[in-house]
Amino acid sequence: MKRYKGAIIILAVFITSFTACKKYETFPIDQVNINKVFDPLDSNGTNAQAYLISIYGILLKGHNRLDGSDYLDAASDDAVSSNAAALKTPTLLSTGDYNSGTFSDALSGPQTDNLWAYCYGGIRQCNIFINNIGVVPIKDVVNSNGKINGIGVSERYILQSEARFLRAWFYFELVRRYGGVPLLGNTVYTVTQNVALPRNSFSDCINFIVNECNAIKDSLLTNPLSSSANYGRVTKGAALALKARALLYAASPLFNGGNIDPSNPLTGYVGGVDVTKWQAAAQAASDVIALGAFSLDTINYGRDVFLTQNNPEVIFVVLNDNGANIEKEQAPPGFPAAKGIGETSPTQDLVNAFPMLNGASIGAAGSGYDPNNPYSNRDPRLGNTILYNGAPWLQTSLQLFQGGQNEPNNGQVESLTGYYMHKFMGYSETTATFQNHNEDWIAFRYAEVLLNYAEAENEYSGADNNVYAALVALRKRAGITAGSNKLYGLPPMGSVSPDSMRNLIHNERRIELAFEEHRFFDIRRWKIAGDGPAVMNQPRRGVIITTSFGANTYTPTTVLPNIFPGTFTSKRYLYPIPYDEVAKNPQMKQNPGW
Amino acid sequence: MGYCYLKKCFAGIIILTLLYSTTYAALRDTTYKAAVKTAGLVTGVVVDENNRPVKGAIVSVKGKPISAETDVTGNFSINAAIGDVLVFTYVNHYTSEIPVTSNTELKVRMLDRYLQTRDQADVLYGTVNTGSLLGSMATIYTNQLTTTPATIYEYALPGQMAGLYTQQNSGFTNPANQNALTSFLGSSPIIVSGHGYVPNDNTEIGITVRGNGQEGGATTIIDGVQENLSSIDPESIESISILKDALSTVLLGINGSKPILLVTTKKAQAGTPRISFTTQTALQQSLGMPGDQVSAYQWAYLYNELLDNEGKPELYTTADLLAYKNHTDPYGHPDVNWEKLLLNNYSPLTSDKLNVNGGSEVAKYTISLDYLDQGGIFKQAPNVDYNSNLNLSRYTLNSDIGVKVSKNLSVNLQLFGQVEQITSPGASYSNILSTIESTPNNAYPVYNPNGTFGGSSLASSFNNNLLAMSEYSGYQITKIHNILVNMDLDYDLSDITKGLSIKVKANLASQSQILIDRSYENLAYQYNKVDSSITYSPEGTPSAITNTFSPTVTATTSFEQASLDYNRQFGKNGVSAQAFYDTRSQVLTYDLAAITTDRALKADYNYEGKYFVEGVGNYSGFNRFAPGQQNGWFWAGGLGWQMAKENFIKDNVDWIDSWKWRATYGQTGNDNDAGYYTFKQTYGNGSAPAYYFGLGHPGAYTSDGFTETTPIANPNETWERARKFDVGADISLLKNKLQITADYYHELYYDLSVTSGGDIALLGASYPSLNIGRRLYTGEELTVTYQDHLGDFNYFISGNGTIAASKVLYFDEEKQPYPWMQQTGLPEDVIFGYVSDGFVTAQDVKNKIAAPAGYTPQVGDIKYADLNGDGVINQYDEKPIGNLKPLVYYGTTLGFNYKGFSFSAIFQGVFNRELNTDNSYVNGFSGLGFFGTGEPGQAYENILNRWTPETAATAQYPRLYFDSPNNLFSTFYLKSGDYFRLKNAEIGYTLPASFSNRLHLSGLRVFINAENIFTVTAYREFPGMDPEVNGQGAYPIQRVLNAGLTIKL
Repeated sequence: MKRYKGAIIILAVFITSFTACKKYETFPIDQVNINKVFDPLDSNGTNAQAYLISIYGILLKGHNRLDGSDYLDAASDDAVSSNAAALKTPTLLSTGDYNSGTFSDALSGPQTDNLWAYCYGGIRQCNIFINNIGVVPIKDVVNSNGKINGIGVSERYILQSEARFLRAWFYFELVRRYGGVPLLGNTVYTVTQNVALPRNSFSDCINFIVNECNAIKDSLLTNPLSSSANYGRVTKGAALALKARALLYAASPLFNGGNIDPSNPLTGYVGGVDVTKWQAAAQAASDVIALGAFSLDTINYGRDVFLTQNNPEVIFVVLNDNGANIEKEQAPPGFPAAKGIGETSPTQDLVNAFPMLNGASIGAAGSGYDPNNPYSNRDPRLGNTILYNGAPWLQTSLQLFQGGQNEPNNGQVESLTGYYMHKFMGYSETTATFQNHNEDWIAFRYAEVLLNYAEAENEYSGADNNVYAALVALRKRAGITAGSNKLYGLPPMGSVSPDSMRNLIHNERRIELAFEEHRFFDIRRWKIAGDGPAVMNQPRRGVIITTSFGANTYTPTTVLPNIFPGTFTSKRYLYPIPYDEVAKNPQMKQNPGW
Repeated sequence: MGYCYLKKCFAGIIILTLLYSTTYAALRDTTYKAAVKTAGLVTGVVVDENNRPVKGAIVSVKGKPISAETDVTGNFSINAAIGDVLVFTYVNHYTSEIPVTSNTELKVRMLDRYLQTRDQADVLYGTVNTGSLLGSMATIYTNQLTTTPATIYEYALPGQMAGLYTQQNSGFTNPANQNALTSFLGSSPIIVSGHGYVPNDNTEIGITVRGNGQEGGATTIIDGVQENLSSIDPESIESISILKDALSTVLLGINGSKPILLVTTKKAQAGTPRISFTTQTALQQSLGMPGDQVSAYQWAYLYNELLDNEGKPELYTTADLLAYKNHTDPYGHPDVNWEKLLLNNYSPLTSDKLNVNGGSEVAKYTISLDYLDQGGIFKQAPNVDYNSNLNLSRYTLNSDIGVKVSKNLSVNLQLFGQVEQITSPGASYSNILSTIESTPNNAYPVYNPNGTFGGSSLASSFNNNLLAMSEYSGYQITKIHNILVNMDLDYDLSDITKGLSIKVKANLASQSQILIDRSYENLAYQYNKVDSSITYSPEGTPSAITNTFSPTVTATTSFEQASLDYNRQFGKNGVSAQAFYDTRSQVLTYDLAAITTDRALKADYNYEGKYFVEGVGNYSGFNRFAPGQQNGWFWAGGLGWQMAKENFIKDNVDWIDSWKWRATYGQTGNDNDAGYYTFKQTYGNGSAPAYYFGLGHPGAYTSDGFTETTPIANPNETWERARKFDVGADISLLKNKLQITADYYHELYYDLSVTSGGDIALLGASYPSLNIGRRLYTGEELTVTYQDHLGDFNYFISGNGTIAASKVLYFDEEKQPYPWMQQTGLPEDVIFGYVSDGFVTAQDVKNKIAAPAGYTPQVGDIKYADLNGDGVINQYDEKPIGNLKPLVYYGTTLGFNYKGFSFSAIFQGVFNRELNTDNSYVNGFSGLGFFGTGEPGQAYENILNRWTPETAATAQYPRLYFDSPNNLFSTFYLKSGDYFRLKNAEIGYTLPASFSNRLHLSGLRVFINAENIFTVTAYREFPGMDPEVNGQGAYPIQRVLNAGLTIKL
């Protein structure tokens, strides 16, 4: 036996060391691959829907967006950032203190408004969804309100259409900032593929957005929604509203006839003014109106549009939490129990844009405007939009005079202009602290569609009945008194030139849509930021109020003083393409002047 | 409090051991008394530090050609007369000279040299003759480690090895929870997931070898196994080597690009038990704490000046200033030096170590017990009954047993266990330290008149009282448990063919780290006094005491290796070959195991010990790469020539003892930057923005959302590679008194995983790192050592220096608009910044010099050079301004030994190093203010040298202004980071054998040593800044003064 000993030991060693044992998986089982997200066996499509939801989460919410504290309108002539010394993003944008290098991708995102990489991030996610949702056998068929030619549409195609809407919207956010941008189609690029793509023309981009809206409009949910659980999803109304807005921009002077580089198809249409573009824009807006699904919300002169969900004016909303975050950044300082910072200071020019209660502008003869009591008898929208000296707030009246409770001059951030923003805020006039309220960001609402329509229709066919109807509806809702001619302060029809009607519509748009991220783009597409009135080359103004024995004195003042005039040159109508993108991509053409 | 009992138990073991062994030593001492006296012969015995006989020591009579050698019992007899001087020499021991005074038997003790020169060198997975070593390495031995009083052995490395650069970044170990906790309260610690994180108990000393910051540090190999364990008692370490070239590291295969820090612990040695007990106590003193905070009065005055400069109303009235100045209102106008109030000047560090070593040729053992306790700098409240200070205490037990099972088979088993506990204040030490540094003296009073904690609403960092944070915030305990089992089997197969053997190694290591959090936050009150009515308004977000338990890391590592060795001499031809198969698996927390596998073949040949050739090939792989792309070939080769053995030297030049030329070249790999299965695109939920549909908040359908994981997958992911060339010489001259080692290296790293400069945003996702980077590292290293003796006075001096240059060759950098913005071609750690050009003058203002857009420069601001001449200072005006020259670092070790007295000192220094000092110390008020982006910070006395119209000629800092471009990083804040330290020194005395034997001890040594004794820095304007540890909230570097004694039985 002894001579087998060695062999037995060796055998024993082999058996113990090579007995099969199951090892770990070769790829971690917790890592989700694409088949699990777009699961061909999941008839509920749970993960696929969660994927789409994450794309909704990318949508911009305008509240406190820039630097997490300011509204984009603080970069227009409507407001300034109260924290001007710190060179915050709105101040940089407002004064032109940026170049293609500071617009680098590293600093991009909603907080800086350099949305190049951010939007392409959204587009990538949309494309992944659009390409893959087809394999998910979601069993629902939406009959009641999603129809193509009367036939029910499978839920998965509705979801796909929603993703296509979101993609079109990301493109629109790019186009209105940068002009024509590269269109990626449905391609989801990998790191091994060449992404050095050229820009598509402005015209291509608008066509893409419009065609997409046309293609998907009938495979989306329709308003009114059959289920409140669907609130927040893209609807047909949203697709038509996006199309109307895109066509309005395309028809506007900056792109239509006023191209800053007349032969450059990237920055606008080449050639002269094409008035039919206004016609298309008017038609698109009237298509939304014709749906008959939306109307103006009349509660508190429209203030509740932003505070109550599912009101009839909402076309598309980016859902947000309940809270008092707007107040925390924008409400006046000086209340220890309800601390506000007052980041965005509305300008005197915006305040002056609000007419009197009778609809007359403050400068008009017989308007009734009293420079020593400037806030009385005004359009109710002034109070809803702006907090001024004496306005009720937190169970008191605001003291915005020098040294007053809400303008204490103690070194902390406070209004530069003598005004604070009020729009979007809850009913904190009568409570001791801020009340939490709905903070959804309303991206499309019916009032804008009416204004889009009025503007386009006025350009194409003049101040006709339809234009008047739209404006009257808005002014009536705003609480302006009807007047004997029932025109709510509008000049009698026929008495007004198209130019002054245009100014009237522009002004109406300014006050109705204040702080809703419109003014910043409107002054560009109208080409009035650096040309004509050159609103961005005027100093931003505010008011200094001094009080003596109960009598207030209102003295105009200039804020953001040392940078005007002449800083808004034509290149600033469009953002620079981020420097990195041009440096890395030989096909990428920079915008003119940058 | 089981920990306290452990301490008592530990002390009991030591006392029992010592008591028992004392008697044993006394008994044993009689064994040497048997020498036979013969007339004319001097006899005696030579012993070592442990009182063990030394065999082979040479005894000679000075001036006469007579010599003898000691036998196995250490005895010698030599023909010498009274009046002769006997000279005792023994390799790696100090020479001693003893006059013959009488006929009595001599007892001579030989002491270990501080610097050792060994015949055998430990290399990766083996030991080789130093003479045949072709790689580039530097080694230090036990004595060079034990003079440094510290918690981890890395403290002993600075300045001692050529090529190795250290940068200390903290003076105290970092409990892992400090990193994991996002803020100290209200959030539970995040469990550390693997994905590249390696648990490492060295969080204090950063190591860079050969200037390579890209690969980051060195791989630590302890006794042949990769372990990140630094908390080993230096006395149980035999040697630490740094292996730098490709040939030395290629056996690690896909992991072999990093240099290796090779730690070899002391193995069991046969013989009677050697028991050594060392106890030492040290005082630690913080260096680099600023200490020169401006008073509350000065702060308020300066703040007003700043507001004046900004055109804003002053914050402090004249009455305020007077109150600060005269301290008339300690509550309303406090003046608190928080640093003095909260921090101790000295903190203790103690350690006790017991080592037992002995056994027979059949079975030998070594056991060591080690206890260490390090205190932190925070003061404690007398009325708090728990430890709120930072504290580290650690017990280590290490045992090694070697058994020769049969003639051919020997087995070695090592067991290592460690229990470590780190206590830290509930508010976390880095948070407290950074708040101390940033809180002005006038922020708030310590206590209010009613006994509540003071606080202020002026800034959010004033909401929480600092005293409450540091002494009344509860505590956090990190517990770390380490277990390591190491088994080696060595089977001699000489029966099959001579020189063949087989080795099997198995290792299992387990580390777990848990956190117990019992912290809380107190309410602070702002003291308001209006006229005579006093009110207190609460500040802060108080929280009750939490009691949470969470595992933060668990790591299990196993390593198995089998190797076949063949080693034989055929006449003049020496041949050896080795084949290896090994696999290492590391499981971190809940990750899949990371498995590295090597299959290597090594062969070398030498002729007459004169010409050497060596080659290694290693087919090595890592399991986190895509299937089919996991394995690759790594190889290295070396040539050597022992020139001194050539006849033309051997016969002609007698002062050359050894002159070996060596050169190696190889290709190594690094899988360190591999992601966690990132070759395949995955999707995750939770990372996407949350969203919901439906009415209400939240709406009806809530979801975290699913989204693509970013960075997106890189299907071509692979390991990084390097081609390394090293040429050097090892020279020994003047009877080995002078030794020189010199190296030149040229290391090209390629396929480096870097962020590509070509990452176009149209992709719509963040790019993964791509294997496209190329960097070049070159440098020279030189070590010169001289050792000799003048009679009993043995002295040594050793110096080393390194010049390390790096160059970024490629990373697909985007085309920059101006050539000076390009980084390609520059050193990897180049610093970019603006070029400052003094202060703005009135003339400059008139000339409207270039300034950042939107800012009009004022007199007293920093002036910047407008490199592109466009009239605006912006990113186009930033250029490389620092770290452009190769880094030079050096160290010197010197000392002597005279009749048992020993002295050693280590100097260490760096030059061509540059520092960014644009930090909150140097910039008054932390560069922040009420009026915008931040909160007012503390100011230090350097701010008194600010620019004012009166001091325009002598100002060292710009005028006070918030948010001004004065805080842009420019050459103004770029300072020399050169420094020179007396890093370490020790004075010791080994009592004469006669004396210690009378105490029934084998040996007794007392010593005093110290660390960071003095530092000369090139940058002196700001005294509070240490050249190494200077970040806000960093635990300060410590000067340590240590005294102890070693008893040998």
